[in-house]
Formats: sequence, C-alpha cells, structure tokens
Amino acid sequence: MAEEIKEKWSKIARWASKRSLWMVHFCTGCGAIEMPPVMTSRFDMERFGMGSMATPRQADILLITGYLSIKTLKRVVRVYEQMQAPKYVVAFGSCTINGGMYWDSYNTIKDLSKYIPVDLYIAGCMPRPEAIIDAFNKLMEMIDRGEARGWEKYEKYYEKYKRNQEAAFNYKLEEVEEVEEERKGGEK
Amino acid sequence: MIWEAISLMVLLALLAYATGRLSRYSGIFAVLAGFVPLAMLFDWAPTAGLKHLISLGFEKSTAVNIKIATLHFSITPLSWLFLTMVGGIFPFIALYAISYFKKAPGGFFGSMTLALVGATGVVLASDLLTFFIFWEVMSWSAFLLVVRGRDRSAITSYFSFSALSAYLILFGIMVLRSEAETLSFSSLSSSITSSRLTLLAFISMAAGFGVKGALMPLHIWAPRAYSRSEEPFVAYLAGGLSKLGYYGIFLLFYSFVGVSVITRFGTFRGVPYLGYSLAIFGALSAFIGTVLAFMEDDLRKLLAYSSIGQLGYIAIGIGIGTPLALSGALFQAVNHTFFKAVLFLAAGSVYYRTGRWKISELGGVAYRMPFTFLAALFSIFALAAIPITSGFAAKWLLYVSTVDKRFVFLTPIMLIAGVGAFLYSFRILYGVFLGEPRYPDIKEAPALQLIPMWILVMPLVIFLIFPGKLMDVFGEIFAYYGLEGVSHTDFAITTSLSSYNTLAVIFALMGGLMVAFIIYVSRPHRVVSHYDNYLSGEIPEVHEGLSLHAATRYYKPVEDLFQPYFAHGAERFYHHIEVGLEGVGDGLRRLFKTTVSNMIYLVLAGLLLIGWWLTW
Amino acid sequence: MVDFSSILALLVEGVLLAALGVLTGILFMGIARKVVARVHNRVGPPVYQSYIDIIKLLTKKTNISHGWIFDLALLFSISGILLTLLFLPIGGIKLLSIHGDLFLVLYLLAIPALGFALGAGASGNPNAGIGVMRALVMMFSYELPFIIAVLAVMIYYDTTSIATIVASQSHMRWAILVPPLLIGALVADMALQGMLMEKPFDIPIAPHEIASGPMVEFGGKYLGTLMLYKATSIVVETTLFVDLFLGGAVVLDPATYGAVAYAVNLVVWFLLILAVFIISVLINTVFPRFRIEQALKFYWSYDTALAILALMWIYFLYI
Ligand code: SF4
Repeated sequence: MAEEIKEKWSKIARWASKRSLWMVHFCTGCGAIEMPPVMTSRFDMERFGMGSMATPRQADILLITGYLSIKTLKRVVRVYEQMQAPKYVVAFGSCTINGGMYWDSYNTIKDLSKYIPVDLYIAGCMPRPEAIIDAFNKLMEMIDRGEARGWEKYEKYYEKYKRNQEAAFNYKLEEVEEVEEERKGGEK
Repeated sequence: MIWEAISLMVLLALLAYATGRLSRYSGIFAVLAGFVPLAMLFDWAPTAGLKHLISLGFEKSTAVNIKIATLHFSITPLSWLFLTMVGGIFPFIALYAISYFKKAPGGFFGSMTLALVGATGVVLASDLLTFFIFWEVMSWSAFLLVVRGRDRSAITSYFSFSALSAYLILFGIMVLRSEAETLSFSSLSSSITSSRLTLLAFISMAAGFGVKGALMPLHIWAPRAYSRSEEPFVAYLAGGLSKLGYYGIFLLFYSFVGVSVITRFGTFRGVPYLGYSLAIFGALSAFIGTVLAFMEDDLRKLLAYSSIGQLGYIAIGIGIGTPLALSGALFQAVNHTFFKAVLFLAAGSVYYRTGRWKISELGGVAYRMPFTFLAALFSIFALAAIPITSGFAAKWLLYVSTVDKRFVFLTPIMLIAGVGAFLYSFRILYGVFLGEPRYPDIKEAPALQLIPMWILVMPLVIFLIFPGKLMDVFGEIFAYYGLEGVSHTDFAITTSLSSYNTLAVIFALMGGLMVAFIIYVSRPHRVVSHYDNYLSGEIPEVHEGLSLHAATRYYKPVEDLFQPYFAHGAERFYHHIEVGLEGVGDGLRRLFKTTVSNMIYLVLAGLLLIGWWLTW
Repeated sequence: MVDFSSILALLVEGVLLAALGVLTGILFMGIARKVVARVHNRVGPPVYQSYIDIIKLLTKKTNISHGWIFDLALLFSISGILLTLLFLPIGGIKLLSIHGDLFLVLYLLAIPALGFALGAGASGNPNAGIGVMRALVMMFSYELPFIIAVLAVMIYYDTTSIATIVASQSHMRWAILVPPLLIGALVADMALQGMLMEKPFDIPIAPHEIASGPMVEFGGKYLGTLMLYKATSIVVETTLFVDLFLGGAVVLDPATYGAVAYAVNLVVWFLLILAVFIISVLINTVFPRFRIEQALKFYWSYDTALAILALMWIYFLYI
C-alpha cells in the first residue's frame, strides 16, 4: 500500500516536473540566439510550461548553448551545482559534442559530458528552433519514463567529474578521461 | 518614605562616584539604586494584577522641608506610569552597563544614578518647584554623561539646548506662579486665567519640554548627543529620559494650565488650537525624523532620528487629546521606552563585539549573535508596529483617533511615516545583522548584556497579548483627570469606528504558522554557506576584497530625490542664529572664562537664587 | 465569552476560505500568463499551469537554505498572508474582519513582506539586498496615494472597519458611484499596480537586472511557498480593492436570500477580483519597467495629486 502511494506520488512529481521545466538564463555560445524565437510568438515554448528563470536556484534545465571556453566552464559548473535536483542539462550544437569547429582550440572543451552529465544533445551548427522544441519534447518523455537521471550520475561519479574539471581548469585537457564506459541518455 | 528612598538613591549615587575609578562593578550601586523605583512601582501599582504583591508602605504624598524650600511629592496614576518608564528600565540598563564597560568607567554610574534620582523626582513631584529642581538634577547629570562622550558639537548642542529648555520652563513657571499664586499641581489649573501671559507661559513651557522630547525643530541636540555618548546612557536617555518631556507636556495640558483654559484660546473640531499645533509639530517630527533616519549610515544616528520620529507620535496623541489619542500616546510612550532601550543596547552589543558603528561596515552579525539579533528583531517589529508585538496597538489607537476627528492632514503623514519606519528598520536588519557574514569570528554578546535585553523585550510581548492591562492603567489616569475612558477588555480595544482584537490576530497567526510549518518540515533541506550564492556564476572566494554587502547608501535613489529638501534644513536655521549670537557671545566670553565647570557653577548658582526667590 | 460551536464554525469557515483564496490566487497567476500570451499572439500555457509549477517546486528532491533566518521567509510569508486574508470580508462573509480594521490589514500585509525580506537578506546575496530595498521604496511610494484615497473612503463612511465599509455599500451603493471616490478608486488602482508588482512597477523583482531580486536564492520548497504567498497576495490585494470600492461584491443580501446569497456573492467576488486583476495584467503587458526613482516620482506627484483632489472633494463637499 505504502509502496503504491509512493509510486503514485513520484509519478505525480515526475508529471509536474516534466510539465513545468524552467531553464536558467545562462548563454554561452552562438546558440543563445536561437532561444528568442523559441520563446516568442512563432514557436512559443511557454505552451509546454517552459520559461526562463533568472537564477539556477529556481531552474530545472541548464542549457549549454554552444562552445564552452574553460573560463566559462568554471561558471557553468558552479551554476550547475547551485541548481536543485532533479536537474537536467541540454547541450546545443556540435561544439558541445566533439568540439565542432573549435575541435583544435586550446581553450575550449571538446566533450561536455566529461565535465557535467548531459541528458540530451541537440546536434547541428546551429540547431534550428524546431529542433530545440523537438528536443524539449524528447526531454519531457525521458523525464516521464524516469530516464533523465543525469543529476544522479553526477552524484555517483562526483570524484571523476571533479578530476576532469580540475584538469580542464589547469589547461591539461589531455588528462581528461571518460566518466563512464558507455554513454547513456538519448542523442539526437 | 519617598524622601528617604530618594536620599538612599543619592547615597548610592555618591557611592558609585566614589568607587567609580576602582572597578566597573561599582555599577552594582546603580543597579541597587534602580531597584528603589521598582519597589515604589510595585507598592503603588494601580491595577489589580500587581496590587499588594508586596507592601512597603510608601505614602501617597508627602512634603519635605529642606533648608531652602519645601518639596512636595505625590503619586498619581500618571506618575506611576511614567515611573515605570524612567525607573522600570534603569536597573537592567545599569546591569548591562557593568558588562559593557571594559574598564572602570569613572563617574558613569554615579551620574546615571543621579539622572535616575532626577527622573524619579520629576515624576513624583507635586509642585512646580520640586518639579523644576529635579528636572535640573536630571538634565545636568545627563549633561555630565554627554560630556563623557568628548565630542564638542554634542556637548555644546546638548548644553545650549538644555539650558534653553531650562530657561523656557523656568520662565513658564514664574508666569504661572504670578498668575495663580500657587505652585502646587492640584490647585494650579483652577486658579489660572486665560490671559495672554498664560498663553506665553504655555508656549514657552511646551517648547522647553519639547527640547527634552526631541520634538522638531528642537531636536538638533538629539542626534549628536545620542551618537556620541556611551551606549547604556543613550539607551536610558532615549528610552527613559526623553519621556519626561512628554510627561511635562501632558501635565501642562491637564494639570498646569488645564484643558478648560486651553480651549478658551480657540478650538478646531473640538481640539484646542494649541493641541492641534502640537500635533502638527509631532507629525512633522514623525515624518522628517523617519526620512532622515533611513538616509543615515551611522547606526546610532539612525536610531536617534528614529527616536525623534517615534516620539513625534506621542506629541500627536497628546496634542489631539481625545481619550483615544491619549491612550495611543501613552501606549506609544510605554512601547518606545522598551523597544528603543533594547535597540540601543543591542547596537551597543554589536559595537562591543565588532567595534563598528557604520552600517555599511557591519553585516552578517546575526549569524554569530542570534540572541542579540532576536531581541533587536522583536523591538524592530514593535518599532515598525508589526501586529505581532505590542507596537501596533499604540499606532492603531493614534490612527483611529485622527480618523475619528477627521484630521485629514495627520493620518496620511503618520501612516507614511509608519511605512518609512519599515525602510529604516530594514536598513538596520540588513545592514547590521544580515547580508554577507563579514564578522565570522565574533562571539555572542555576554550573558550580562543579553539578560537585560531580553527582560526589556518581555513587556512588548506581554502587552501584545494583554493590551487591556495597559489600557486599565490609562483608564485610571483618565479617571484622575476627569476624562472618559476607552472601552476595552483584556484582549480587545473597541472604538466607535472599529475594534482590534489581539486574540484573533494571534490565533489566526498560529493557524498560518501551522500551515507554513507543515510545508517547512515536509521537504528536507540542506544548509549551505553564505558564499554559495548565485552571482551570475561568479565565484566570490577567488576575488580578494570583494564585498557582497549592498549596504552602502542603501536608499540611494530616495536619498538623491530627498536630499535637496531635507539636508540639514533645521541645522542651517540654527546656524544663522549661531552666527548672529556669536557677536554677543564674544562679548560674554570676556566676562566669564568659559570652562564647562564654570558654566555649570554659574547656572546652578543662578538657579538656586531663582528658586530661593520663588519660595520666598 | 463566545460559545464553542460558533468558534468551530469560524474555524471551518476560515480554513475553507483560506483554501479558496490560495487556490483562486494560483489560478489567477495562470490566467495572467495566458492573458499575456494572448496579447503577445502566443498560445500560452494552460490556465492551470501555476498549479503544476507549485507541485513541481514543492516536490523538488533537494532544497538549500542559508540558515534559520533564511527559513523565516518561508514561515512568515505564507502564514502572514493567510492571516491577512482572514481579516478581509470575502464576498460579504465577514470572518475575522470584525476583529480588526483597515489599518490592521495594512500592517498585517507587512508581516509576510518583512518575513520575506528577512529571508532574502539572510541569503547574503547582494541582489537580494537591492531587491528588498526597491520593494521597500516601492511600498513607500504607493502607500502615500493609496492611504489618502483610502482615507477618503474612511471619512466618507465614517468608519475604519472594512466590514462596516462593505455593509454601508450594500444594495449596490458602491463607493465608485460617488464621483470623488471614483477618483479615489482610480488612484487606488494605480497603487494596486505597484502592490501587485506588475509592470511598470515590477522594479523589485526585475529578473533581467537583479536576477529576480529578493528571490534570487530561493528554490524548491522555498520558492514554492513564495509562489503561494504571491498567489494569495493577489487575492488579498484585489479583494481589498473590491471591498473598499466595489461594495465588497455583495449583490444579494444574505439576510433575505440565505445560502443562495452567499454562493452568488462568492461568484460575483470571483468575477470582480478577476476583472480588477486582468486590468492590471493588461497594463502589465504593454508597459516597460520604470526605474525606482521614477516610480517614486510618479506616485508622489500625479497619483498623490489625484488622491488629494478626491480627499478634498469628500472633505469639503460630502461631510
Ligand atoms: S555548434 Fe556551431 S553554432 Fe553552436 S557554438 Fe559551436 S560553432 Fe557556434
């Protein structure tokens, strides 16, 4: 009985959290410019209960909108850690996947998921608003199925993530290693 | 008994003087002296609750023949109430002071005790001569305490204003005496006529008392003296002694001159013009004091201006003079005594631990000094009239009384001053106690400082729950002066316009807190450091000397708007007078070599001469 | 002393109305978002979106606090606003309003605000300090015209009790039908814009300047409670306006129509506060944001001048 109630309750909680995703206003790379059309009349993401919040304390999603310099990574990590669980990370563009056009840059990171857990990638350089809306819908489905568990992964592999972050902060990108053998979470 | 008690206090004062240089524990004598008025209070308590708790047999009135004059004392409900204010807080402040001073404070405790003697004498006096003698004792011992602050502008302004006040009062007394041929309170008002001279006496005495009550525009001395003297004394000055000014004004209206005479000078909606103009001055004090307070960065100056504002409310109440307004004024006087004393003591404790007075240099003290913070928080609630302390009942009575009389000028001014009180309250709360933890290594204030503070907070809570108990005392006062009472029960006050029931507020708040508490405990939380803060992703720890405290010129937008209108308006006025007087002063300086003690001797001699002449 | 059954009735009534107030408030927040979306020519979230938001916030897995003073924000904000709600007559149901008056309500409104400010201050975030400063200055600004307008109502009906003001407006003799009080209502409505912190007066929270000001460190259950507070305060403030100027939404006299009257009055109350709220939301949609000193200037000049006009009109020609 108690189990059932707990199950029901967590279902409600999951439903509420999927229907009310608030993003933190933190724009890093070129991708940020694709957000205004997503928010305004043309694509209107508020339909899904999504909105942008001023601070990470209030937000559920962290959007990494493009390439991340190492200097910005410090801030991103801090913002991510200030967010309240359950929290999700959505990464935009090829830069966050493999470095994109900055693949050989000395001061941008190449694979975001080595520093913070990424729940969803959106490929493209730059992804169009349609792709972004689609990604958010995908994220909602994942939350509903209980698959978007990046924040739990971050707690579990905290040591490894920290080690990678430290290496990056000291510009020793070659020391950065895979956090897990196989990467989970949907890719698009 | 009364005279013996006063002599005992003087003796204790002398002992405190004698031992003052040896140790700070000479304050024990001051504490002991403080218990004498407390004993009187219990013995005379007019309400059933305290009556006959102990019986020491203080007589109700007495006459004492000292060499040059006969002193008359008696106790009335009003003097009982004001004795609670000036006497009730004294022992606790003295106790606090023992721990406040780090080394032997010299004459501090002696002068404090003398001030207490003066204040006790003033409220117990039943003729004008006694009243004036003790008034001067009180003023001069307070002056000795201001001198200890070693600030030239504080000393000169306190000196000149209290001398002015003394002369004004003395002038009034002389006129009244020549009109009525008597000095006794009980027969004064029956034999006074409504001549021009009476009017002059009234105005000059009201101004004289207004100086002590820091009424605008006679307040100039207050911010200086408050901000440059030692904290326990300031707490007593603001909490206790300032009420004596309003005690005088109250007596002026109901005992010295009498309402029947005052109304003959004309009335406005049933309120004498004289009262109404006092109320206007009170309203200006309330508003301007408040605005100056929230533009102030020095904690003590802020509290001083706030005192001016809050005391203004008392003037409004006495000025309007309906039972409703008078209850409001007296209620406000009682509240102000306690919350302002606590606030100054709390400010003292903060200084004791951090060594800072500027609000912009403080910050985060509450995390280390939670009990000091809570005491201050309670008194700030009372000051801002938040209905979870007794502060609200007083303001409410005043508001309702102005609406009742349809004084459409006073109500908005008072209410906006009330909102302004939130502004400076929060400047204290945020600037001093909250915000960035700038003093991570300080300790909580010593117990000897906390205990007095918390004892003084208690009345604010008690009178929240039982405003009726205090209203009973006011009822006695009104009966004594032949006024109608305000209908009330223990928990509720009812007027013709509306009613206020504290029980309803308390129970509804309990219910609300229950809901809030359920939400609070239903989800877990984790406490993080004050530096784990969202600063647009910035990491404050890596920046040397970065300030996260937004307390410098906190109300800058308002300051910029108001500065042209408010900056030192009154001070500029006095400056012109000062320049004018300087020429005269230069001449006088050649006559007397102006050292402070010379001046005191001269004035005392003058006063003695006048006193002798009066009784002769 | 009051008998037990009437206390129990009051308790049940209080709990029900408090729940109604909170739920209505949350619905209103949703409606506001929908209205704004429609004005922007968007679809907008469903009207029940704010319920979802609050459930989400209250079911967050982790919450952070900055110490016990920070928690006071949670405790005082929601309890204080519920307390205020109980002291207002809602659709003619008096509740506790006979035990207090307008001044009490004005000061009760300060409890949640001050509690909230304490918590914000205790977070140690400079944005929070600035936000609270702006909120207090806003309060200082709009209270002056608001108080003068309300004073006009008070001296017109010669009472300070809200319940009596509502009673005096029965049989559709609403205050706004008196010409000077219509001006008063206009003034109060402008002040309401500031009270509700809608644009152009959303200076204290200003998400784009100071990262939502006082709320910058609040998340999870803390933010959830604050949303409940915000929602209830919408109901409280609009109800205050309706009670003062729109006859407290009493259209049928309970004495003659019984229970039906209560139901009808509650429905009318809902519609009226919705109307008042939507007006303010519409203004909100089309305006940018003032700076704080502009808000102070606006309120203390135009709005106060109008308020004084209303008060003087009442003072010299009506009483
Ligand atoms: S993926 Fe392309 S658009 Fe996105 S940040 Fe990299 S370069 Fe810019």
